[in-house]
Amino acid sequence: MARKVTTGRKIGTTIFAWFVGLVIFFPILWTFLTSFKTELQAISIPPVFVGFDWTLENYRTIQTQSNYFHFMANSIYLSLGSTALGLIFAIPAAWAMAFSPTRRTKDVLLWMLSTKMLPAVGVLIPIYLLFVRFGLLDSRLGLIVVLFLINLPILVWMLYTYFKEIPGEILEAARMDGASLSKEITQVLAPMAVPGIASTVLLNVILSWNEAFWTLNLTTSNAAPLTAFIASFSSPQGNFYAKLSAASMLAIAPILIVGWFSQKQLVRGLTFGAVK
Amino acid sequence: MAAQRKRLNTATLVLLPFWAVVLAAYVGTMLWTVQISFTASKLLPVDEYVGFAQYERLFGSTRWSVSMQNAVIFGVLFIGGALVLGFLLAVVLDQRVRFENTLRTVFLYPYAMSFIVTGLIWQWLMNPGLGIQKAVRDWGFTSFDFAWAVDRDMAIYALVLAGLWQASGLVMALMLAGLRGVDEEIWKASRIDGIPAWRVYLFVIVPMLRPLIVTAVVLLAISVVKAFDLVVALTNGGPGISSDMPAKFVMDNLFTRQNIGLATAAATVMLITVAAVLVPWIYTEYFRKARVGGTA
Repeated sequence: MARKVTTGRKIGTTIFAWFVGLVIFFPILWTFLTSFKTELQAISIPPVFVGFDWTLENYRTIQTQSNYFHFMANSIYLSLGSTALGLIFAIPAAWAMAFSPTRRTKDVLLWMLSTKMLPAVGVLIPIYLLFVRFGLLDSRLGLIVVLFLINLPILVWMLYTYFKEIPGEILEAARMDGASLSKEITQVLAPMAVPGIASTVLLNVILSWNEAFWTLNLTTSNAAPLTAFIASFSSPQGNFYAKLSAASMLAIAPILIVGWFSQKQLVRGLTFGAVK
Repeated sequence: MAAQRKRLNTATLVLLPFWAVVLAAYVGTMLWTVQISFTASKLLPVDEYVGFAQYERLFGSTRWSVSMQNAVIFGVLFIGGALVLGFLLAVVLDQRVRFENTLRTVFLYPYAMSFIVTGLIWQWLMNPGLGIQKAVRDWGFTSFDFAWAVDRDMAIYALVLAGLWQASGLVMALMLAGLRGVDEEIWKASRIDGIPAWRVYLFVIVPMLRPLIVTAVVLLAISVVKAFDLVVALTNGGPGISSDMPAKFVMDNLFTRQNIGLATAAATVMLITVAAVLVPWIYTEYFRKARVGGTA
């Protein structure tokens, strides 16, 4: 528990905390506001906060000129595809590690998680060469496989922390009653595991959605998701800040909105299950 | 006993596809990288072995040493800064602030955004003609300098700042969870003994939060390794090579300079450096914890 504080101090810290919150939120807010300005207002000095003519022009332009929905569709396709593929591999693995742990289970988990800390460029070249050889460059299938591979350790780790919390006695009881392995999984384990799987899925979708290293390096246009789309705006001379803001908003809006309605899962997911 | 053995076999069996994937994808590709780094490969990998020639070239390159220096500066300042800021934010939020859950989500939002978006937003905020510098100067503070992203000496700190903005909220969420677990008795006891709050935080609470601090460092280290995205979006390694990072060095040699041999040598050095620093540390941390019987 937190220590006791007086009312006066509480008001003070509340104001301070909200001020810091505003500072942190400011860049996002500013992007949001700018996305509704004209290009001229976006770079006007002194900057205007809300007293401008709100316009949807930028969003309209982005949709018509830059084929936004193509990138959006790729982002959805890649993040859901890699997550689904990941679950197929990670659920059995995490299940085995949580309920039939061997002496080395913890080491294996750690070793797996440590691969996450190794630089991705270390394996980029072989993967790039493989992609060239098999004609997978700029294909959604290839990217799904790569995103699946890089996020697999996190999927297994997250699911493992959730599965660990499921009491093993229940599974044993089911076994005693003669439930088969498939029954044990579908009828006993699954219902208890759904919340954990849900927030693992949320985390993985966010990670895949944000993944830029692999998507930038392995795609050009056909399979390029939103990260590549936004990066294409990032030329130093580019002065289309209002449009860039609108594009950024469109890219992060799904995460901000989903995150808002699943705050608990978001916090647990982003902290890799460390915050319950 | 037989049933037990059967269980174990099933468990091993379920793990098999997983192991196959992990070994082929992770270990296989890493070894391949190392193999190419000993060849004279240019545009495509060739089998002409040249020993350590690529490594000699690598360590003779100024650009590479600047990149490595920047990686160290970024890593140290980013991890250290995020830990301190995150902890302070958590202490503030722990004082029973109103609408704490909302605020916690707001603090975490940047972390839910990609480094690409983070980089672009900050590139803009630090733009000398439009951003914060211009606004503050127009308010009368004419010597205010915030155009870090285009300043040779400050570009690397621009990356640190944007990174801190992105990741401090994450550390805050972790630490706040830890502070919530602190026993009320500790505060009572320290009040009776008349120990000032900051000393209690520093000498009692922080050591208690050690497992969470380890988790935070691991997550931050993953971000450091991923910092490529941020560099590309915010400074693109410039001005010149002043904010170059090892990952960017590899990319440029691979894609624009057609120098696969050198790129793989650099990648190998990165792999070895990270492994040499982090792996033993993680293992001792976790084994220590296993001995004292704590949980994450």
